[in-house]
Amino acid sequence: MNNPPKRLGHAWQVLRRPSAKYSLLSLLVIGFFSGIFFWGGFHTALEATNTLEFCTACHEMRDTVFQEYKQTIHYSNRTGVRAICSDCHVPKDWTHKMIRKARASLEVWGKITGAIDTKEKFEAKRMTLATHEWERMKASDSRECRNCHSYDGMSGEFQKQTVFVKHQKADAEGQTCIDCHKGIAHKLPREYRDSNE
Amino acid sequence: MSAHRNRLFAALSISIAAAGLSAGAYAVDEEAARALARQNGCFKCHSVEKTLDGPAYKSVAAKYRGKADAEARLITHITTGEKAKFPDGHVEEHKIIKTKDMNEIKNLVSWILSL
Ligand code: HEC
Ligand code: HEC
Ligand code: HEC
Ligand code: HEC
Repeated sequence: MNNPPKRLGHAWQVLRRPSAKYSLLSLLVIGFFSGIFFWGGFHTALEATNTLEFCTACHEMRDTVFQEYKQTIHYSNRTGVRAICSDCHVPKDWTHKMIRKARASLEVWGKITGAIDTKEKFEAKRMTLATHEWERMKASDSRECRNCHSYDGMSGEFQKQTVFVKHQKADAEGQTCIDCHKGIAHKLPREYRDSNE
Repeated sequence: MSAHRNRLFAALSISIAAAGLSAGAYAVDEEAARALARQNGCFKCHSVEKTLDGPAYKSVAAKYRGKADAEARLITHITTGEKAKFPDGHVEEHKIIKTKDMNEIKNLVSWILSL
């Protein structure tokens, strides 16, 4: 009988046997380049999932959050600097990116298995999804917003006085962008309420 | 079915539809009004009851009660960036609402004036 554990054991022995044909150096060189090759491929695949097209390929995104985002200043503005989905939703550094991708896969899984496969189900889930993003942004001091914006870079000459003063105060008191700027790129969830209302 | 009953039925449905339409034109959709205000950050400076940077919406309603041009006045106020006076005395352009849909804007203004 050719059972799997035995085959595996055999493969393992072959892998462990020292090579007589090739020098250690050539093996290392081959290893080095194929490493780059695989890493590059992985990275390219990962980058592909960061494009606007990828993120809006599924219906829920295309018919809801994407349409809303297209009406906002982050999609089109005077200077043409555009923030796309991944700019706000995917961390730039490696560890945070990997964690976020794993989570996003869970959300895609939710779609495949039918948890969020229609606009209605999406709207019903929106408050939960939004709350996750708010918590994530709050925890990172709105890191993705700050990749482009900063309190420091705001000019009292160009910002209205009230807003400028509010931002200086927010900076001094350690408040973060998402504390005050919810719903900047999408429709707010039905269940959301402002604290001042 | 007789022609008579058919005509009666048609007349009835037309009047029901007309009643629905006129009610729609005047009834305020509070949920939609609040959602629009929320989305536009109006509640960052206004509350229904309390005075913040801007006046409480209830006092705006009181100020304009019985004034014929109230609706037109407020529409101008939130769509043109006219000068607004802040509590500390400085003056700056008021926030312009980010929708061009006049029905949505009118609904928001009607809601504020109804408070
Ligand atoms: C890729 C860069 C980028 C990222 C990331 C980004 N923004 Fe922006 N943001 C911009 C640009 C560009 C504008 C438009 C500036 C202009 O034309 O005046 C803008 C405009 C804004 C405005 C002004 C809105 C208006 O209607 O005038 C706010 C508020 C804002 N951003 C908040 C945020 C917040 C909060 C985040 C994080 C969730 C964020 N931004 C992430 C680039 C970015
Ligand atoms: C304490 C609340 C608060 C915090 C925290 C805050 N903002 Fe604001 N911000 C405001 C208010 C209020 C306005 C003006 C009302 C509006 O347009 O929504 C504003 C307006 C803006 C504008 C538009 C300015 C203009 O001239 O049109 C930008 C851009 C902006 N904020 C970015 C940010 C970013 C980026 C952060 C985080 C680094 C941040 N804000 C943190 C309250 C805040
Ligand atoms: C400027 C930053 C920004 C951009 C660009 C952006 N988002 Fe968001 N997104 C947010 C924020 C902030 C939230 C949290 C909820 C809120 O405040 O609206 C959010 C929430 C979401 C949610 C949770 C559901 C919801 O509506 O709250 C989804 C899904 C989403 N975004 C997808 C996308 C997709 C797809 C794109 C590109 C088409 C995109 N986002 C572009 C900032 C952004
Ligand atoms: C940055 C703070 C700020 C924001 C944001 C803001 N307002 Fe105001 N608003 C004011 C101030 C200050 C006044 C008082 C103006 C005056 O009396 O000159 C005012 C006055 C008003 C009035 C009364 C005008 C009158 O003729 O008495 C209405 C109605 C109003 N705002 C609606 C809105 C709506 C709707 C929004 C959202 C689109 C909004 N405001 C956003 C600060 C703000």
